[in-house]
Amino acid sequence: MSEYTVVGQTVARVDAVEKVTGAAQYGADVHPPGMLYGKLVRSKHAHANILSIDTSAAEKLPGVRAIITQADVPSGRRVFATDKVLYLGEPLAAVAATDADIAEEAAELIHIEYEVLPVVQDVMAAIKPSAPGLHGDATKDGPNRRDINAQIRKLSREKEADHSDEISALEAELEKYPDEVYYNISAESHSEAGDVEKGFAESDVVVEDTYVIPRVHQTYMEPHVSVASADSSGKVTVWASTQGPFAIRSGIAGTLGIPLTQINVIGTTMGGGFGGRFGVIITHVPAVLLSQKTGRPVRVQMTREEEFVDGRPAPGCVIKLKTGATHDGRILARQALAFWDSGSVSGASIGSTIRVRGVYKIPNLKVDAYGVHTNKSGTAAYRAPGAPQAIFAGESQLDEIAERIGMDPVKFRLMNMREEGDAVPAGGSEPKVGYKETLEAVADAAGWWDREAGENQGWGVAVGDWTNGCGPGGVYVSVHEDGSVRIFHGSMDITGTDTAISQIIAEILTVPYKSVTITRGDTDSAPYSTGSGGSVVTFTMGNTAKLAAEDAHQRVLELASERLNTNVDNLELRAGAVHVITADPPKSISLGELAAYSLSTTGGPIVGKGSFARQASTPALAAQIAKVEVDPGTGRTRVLKLVASQDVGFAINPMAVEGQIEGGTVQGYAWAMMEEMQYGENGNINPGFVDYRVPTSADLPTVESVIVEVPAPNGPYGAKGVGEPPITPTLATMANAVKDAIGVRITELPIKPEKVVDALKNNGH
Amino acid sequence: MKSFEFFEPTTLAEASRMFTQEHAQLLAGGTDLIIGMKAYTETPQAVISLQKIPGLAGIATDADNGITIGAMTKAREVELSEDIQQHHTALAEGAAEIGSIQIRNLATIGGNIAHASPAADTVAGLLVADAQVDIASAGGERTVPIEALFTGPGQTVLAPGEIITAFRLPRATAGSHYIKHKIREVMDLAFIGVAAAVDMDDATITDARIGLAAVAPTPIRAIEAENLLKGNSLSDVLLAEAGEAAAAACSPISDLRCSAEHRRQMVDVLTRRTVQEAVARA
Repeated sequence: MSEYTVVGQTVARVDAVEKVTGAAQYGADVHPPGMLYGKLVRSKHAHANILSIDTSAAEKLPGVRAIITQADVPSGRRVFATDKVLYLGEPLAAVAATDADIAEEAAELIHIEYEVLPVVQDVMAAIKPSAPGLHGDATKDGPNRRDINAQIRKLSREKEADHSDEISALEAELEKYPDEVYYNISAESHSEAGDVEKGFAESDVVVEDTYVIPRVHQTYMEPHVSVASADSSGKVTVWASTQGPFAIRSGIAGTLGIPLTQINVIGTTMGGGFGGRFGVIITHVPAVLLSQKTGRPVRVQMTREEEFVDGRPAPGCVIKLKTGATHDGRILARQALAFWDSGSVSGASIGSTIRVRGVYKIPNLKVDAYGVHTNKSGTAAYRAPGAPQAIFAGESQLDEIAERIGMDPVKFRLMNMREEGDAVPAGGSEPKVGYKETLEAVADAAGWWDREAGENQGWGVAVGDWTNGCGPGGVYVSVHEDGSVRIFHGSMDITGTDTAISQIIAEILTVPYKSVTITRGDTDSAPYSTGSGGSVVTFTMGNTAKLAAEDAHQRVLELASERLNTNVDNLELRAGAVHVITADPPKSISLGELAAYSLSTTGGPIVGKGSFARQASTPALAAQIAKVEVDPGTGRTRVLKLVASQDVGFAINPMAVEGQIEGGTVQGYAWAMMEEMQYGENGNINPGFVDYRVPTSADLPTVESVIVEVPAPNGPYGAKGVGEPPITPTLATMANAVKDAIGVRITELPIKPEKVVDALKNNGH
Repeated sequence: MKSFEFFEPTTLAEASRMFTQEHAQLLAGGTDLIIGMKAYTETPQAVISLQKIPGLAGIATDADNGITIGAMTKAREVELSEDIQQHHTALAEGAAEIGSIQIRNLATIGGNIAHASPAADTVAGLLVADAQVDIASAGGERTVPIEALFTGPGQTVLAPGEIITAFRLPRATAGSHYIKHKIREVMDLAFIGVAAAVDMDDATITDARIGLAAVAPTPIRAIEAENLLKGNSLSDVLLAEAGEAAAAACSPISDLRCSAEHRRQMVDVLTRRTVQEAVARA
């Protein structure tokens, strides 16, 4: 049994009533008096030179109060395109008007003259010399040219000996790789351990394939929205639907040259984030600019269509992957070459390519990753950014190896998993993580070991790893005269984090969960807090909350010591009262009495402060098993069973943790089976929920979640961040199950019916 | 949405006269129109509600099992009607495929058809029911067979001021079935839709009708395939021939949902399945 009374228990979320009744205030619910409606004017072409922008007709429209362009941005940071647009829907200007229809009409009246340029949307086309250069025509070397050029540079630096013959030979070698001159590269990332060529040479089985993962949108329910109000003193207030109010504050300050103290960002209840709600440019900066220009509050709210053309979705990518293993199941080498679709700006999570390593002992590993510019919007984080893509490739290929060597996919994974104390390629050694426990737990729960499959049915397994982030935060805790506890902080509640913080503080101050209330401040009032993304909140704010509660706890004991006239060492806080440990008869004083007493002391009220920034995090593993049935006639796949386990360290609120596991797994399923941003000759062609399909509850059976708890040394009560890991393995889980069902390997997501039918046809069906 | 004038006429003649003006749109359930207006893809100057006109909603069955469905009948009523479920199962199944229950409680069968999407979920079922479409205007009334109603995507033979008032299904069908090819289990648009209806004399198919949606600019009947089935009893060979004939009858496009080739192949597969099930139900 748990030694705890509040943490580790499922409790109702602190925001349950306001969410269920609709009382929660979202960004679009904010409506200050005199508010104007802002609208962004967007490019109608995916790639074009801008010859002119004529706002004169729009300015004359009654009700139009302001029109802004890049000329209004003091820092010069790109908010609006000026001479060239790089994607369909890129903002060129913004208008503010007295109602939404006038704003819409004014946006249409702004006449833009374009000179249309060739468009490139596919990463493999974009790296070729024939592609239009989005940011000039600079090139980067591919992996082989890069290695050879590095050798040439090294030899050239050695002045002692003459290496001209060797250099000539290497230069001739370069000629062998004419296709490895990549255009439109936004960023690159390379890492190497051991010697992959040697590893492949020693392998009995080598499998090589190319995996294609589409760009997908976070599809949070609430589109981006911002209400800004600049007053006559220059003070700017922004109601922002964001995961990180403090990041928005600094972003506005930097872009618009406003001092931090003149900006107050009020985070509104978030209608989902998933990593996509950090950007400052999309709506917040235009709203502030329009408000400054008009002197009126302005709301800028994106439609769903705008979300698809100008949101910051997850990058798609192409990963060429090669794996070598021995007949007895040891993985010897893995090599990846990845091209990430970064869109018009850099920023795709190319560093996550390293996750093809998984949680396995792979002695020889080489990863080369490139971000590639295409005529699409930029990208942003989406739940374990980059990991689902890389892990899809890695875990799909593992199953191919397992099949070739005739080994059970679960056993194959178990025998290759890293163990505590193993060297970690990046340095240090592997901490204690429940890799094997988690995989074994899902296999047991799903009935893997005695699984049965009817005709066209199959089972798939995959695992995915992720490590939560960490960041600064501050929390205040006050104890009041009625014994209630109040918490104040500045972190956005995401997926129940305020509830977890409340539970931790209730646990330490030994009060019932219902005695605790929590208030989120704005950036003017609350201590700095890191953004609510990267699975950081429970880890960071949980630790911060713990420190704050412990600080309050200390003050409580001091007050009790005064009041009960005994040394602090003789006191114990238990069930909401301080007890004298050795007293007979028992002697105690309640928290409420101490809080009342504190008001007349020199030391003052009970206020605990917690401040925290950084501690090493511990990796987490998610393991999943799906059973599917594929209709070979139509190519449709039905999920019969989906079981997801996760090493969460410690589940502070088990039902909330299960919710995260289920949600992440369903998002992974969606990416595997149906979600895909599609691009035609002139940009995104499915900007809405008609043709961008997210699953409904009818598409899946209940996800069975299995909580595994191997404590993280630095997590509050051993907790790890739980939000991101569950999306990481599902893409491969589904592809592996489909392969098992019908014998065809789908390497290009999503696994739409047409692809299955075509793959079966190509396979001779 | 753009501002507009809203009218609630109480007679068909009044509605028809209003509907002859330019930039006017009829409002039935509103599940297509209002979304379009919110997205500014529909910007009518006048919206004419049909909701106050009596007699346009409801399902009536006559002594010979002929069924009349008022144009303003909700999709949900069509889906749940026992008479339609029994005598025109494909139509009930098609109605059940529209959107969600909430949508079906608003959407009307008349709107689903007048919108003239080649992918409309009720259209294949109406085709195999040999539905007759009653049309009224200030100038009078006329009836057209459902297959003659459509002239292209979003296009019908309806003249300015003409309003669909009812669908008449002249006689019961022994067995019918509708299958929608889609990705998502519910709330998806038809990649293609196939309905089949048969009448049987013992093991012999005496009459067969096959309706195809989203495989041509308008919903179509697969006449060749129907003729192959008539007078024969079911066999794998016959089903395969009918499937191929139906696939040959369509002229699908490639679009973002799938390729023309996939659509054609699915017509083949789903024709075989719907015919087989229709026969099993007869």
